[in-house]
Amino acid sequence: MHNELKITDMQILESSKKTTEESANPLSLNLPDFTTDSYKDAYSRINAIVIEGEQEAHDNYISIATLIPTELEELTKLARMEMKHKKGFTACGRNLGVVADMEFAKKFFSKLHGNFQIALKKGNLTTCLLIQAILIEAFAISAYNVYIRVADPFAKKITEGVVKDEYLHLNYGQEWLKENLSTCKKELMEANKVNLPLIKKMLDEVADDASVLAMDREELMEEFMIAYQDTLMEIGLDNREIARMAMAAIV
Amino acid sequence: MFGLIGHSTSFEDAKRKASLLGFDHIADGDLDVWCTAPPQLVENVEVKSAAGISIEGSYIDSCFVPEMLSRFKTARRKVLNAMELAQKKGINITALGGFTSIIFENFNLLQHKQIRNTSLEWERFTTGNTHTAWVICKQLEKNAPRIGIDLKKATVAVIGATGDIGSAVCRWLINKTGISELLLVARQQEPLALLQKELDGGTITSLDEALPQADVVVWVASMPKTMVIDTDHLKKPCLMIDGGYPKNLDEKFQGENIHVLKGGIVEFFKDIGWNMMELAEMQNPQREMFACFAEAMILEFEKCHTNFSWGRNNISLEKMEFIGAASLKHGFSAIGLDKQSKVLTV
Repeated sequence: MHNELKITDMQILESSKKTTEESANPLSLNLPDFTTDSYKDAYSRINAIVIEGEQEAHDNYISIATLIPTELEELTKLARMEMKHKKGFTACGRNLGVVADMEFAKKFFSKLHGNFQIALKKGNLTTCLLIQAILIEAFAISAYNVYIRVADPFAKKITEGVVKDEYLHLNYGQEWLKENLSTCKKELMEANKVNLPLIKKMLDEVADDASVLAMDREELMEEFMIAYQDTLMEIGLDNREIARMAMAAIV
Repeated sequence: MFGLIGHSTSFEDAKRKASLLGFDHIADGDLDVWCTAPPQLVENVEVKSAAGISIEGSYIDSCFVPEMLSRFKTARRKVLNAMELAQKKGINITALGGFTSIIFENFNLLQHKQIRNTSLEWERFTTGNTHTAWVICKQLEKNAPRIGIDLKKATVAVIGATGDIGSAVCRWLINKTGISELLLVARQQEPLALLQKELDGGTITSLDEALPQADVVVWVASMPKTMVIDTDHLKKPCLMIDGGYPKNLDEKFQGENIHVLKGGIVEFFKDIGWNMMELAEMQNPQREMFACFAEAMILEFEKCHTNFSWGRNNISLEKMEFIGAASLKHGFSAIGLDKQSKVLTV
């Protein structure tokens, strides 16, 4: 059995050499044709999700500020940044001659949006931060990281700028949760159990459109898990706790 | 800090280990889940060398399994993500174990320097091949005489002679051991001719012709698919050093007076107190490890923070001597036939 495994493995390694050479120039890494109807059609939904996502992020940070008034200034700054991102992504769609399907995007976020609003009304700050500053931000960062590799030159530049900012946002929620971990752990776990599966569903829902944009579902999920795991680790959770939380993504 | 990037020998094995470590979400997942799993820093350890120097290190499991080799993009991501994690953890020198360095080399990952917001610094990584090559040579020198092979009269065949480890072994054998004859075997003829020219010695030959002539065979390549080995035609005694990955030669060569030695494995002089080598299925996991892993530890003991083994065919005799001397000084020794390990099961 071992020898068989070894031989097959080496053949695969050798046969994939060609693939590597073909894409030797990272700049020509199999970019899709941005001008086709199918690309634009898929882009109309993906672009809308991004625009809506940035708008909701803005609204959510303003809402979170009502729960921690001392952070008003900082959160307003973050919210403003999200509006800047929204403008950038709107320009990306315009540049390709695509009209964003905002109705689709609103529906796409509705469940998560609803859960955020409920938590906000109840004053559940931990849940609000988990949804916005961890799940949505990690989702956005992972999508942007994958998108940068296959975006048109204009969108690539915009997205690169956005990613730099997004790491700051992730950091914001992370810092608060870290400081308050002893009192917020239980709520964090419970909120995660409810909301992480939604992220997975959202990813599945958008997978076909994303693949038209040359964004691989597997890569998107992996990027998300990396950002998510990093944040939870920074907050101060151990490997087993993170494993338990991540479980919610695969059921 | 030193780092080791490793992986499980099979998917089934990986799931079993993840379950033991409490990584339930991936232990229960199918291969698709594993393809999306981030690298895991599994263990931190402190090690004190025979020379009295203490260092700290980490073991990172890339969550790669050999079943992913057919998924070129996945395999590439697993390696790069594990390297990014090592760098983010501030590890000075990390060894790329198992398939990690093979994937890095064959998929030409040098062109992927930027991983998210991290720019990989190659000087933080080593393939560990210099130490592996040195250990294989020492295993040959020590164990051949033990089974009655006189090195001065011996014919040694190196299968995979043009590879990074293979070419280094050839260099050492020709210049340092006084063996009678060196047979060079590899699939591609052009690099073979170049190697022969560089060595100013050695005979280029086919595998079929080499095996019946060789007293010692060093395997640092996979076996050709169609190869059927007739052990009757091998010399007796014969020493087979399995320097490839994964190590599985002992299943193919069994017979009286045919001795198969796991190549490129070292033993530390005392128990280390880690669990990580149980993951790599060493026979004595508290002391044994791949020589490539040990290279990262040696470089950290020596405060030699550089990509000591990097690229192809850069392994000089001087480098082998340096890493060999440091290896002995800090308490490593190559495993021999008396420490023969049991057959690995996948």
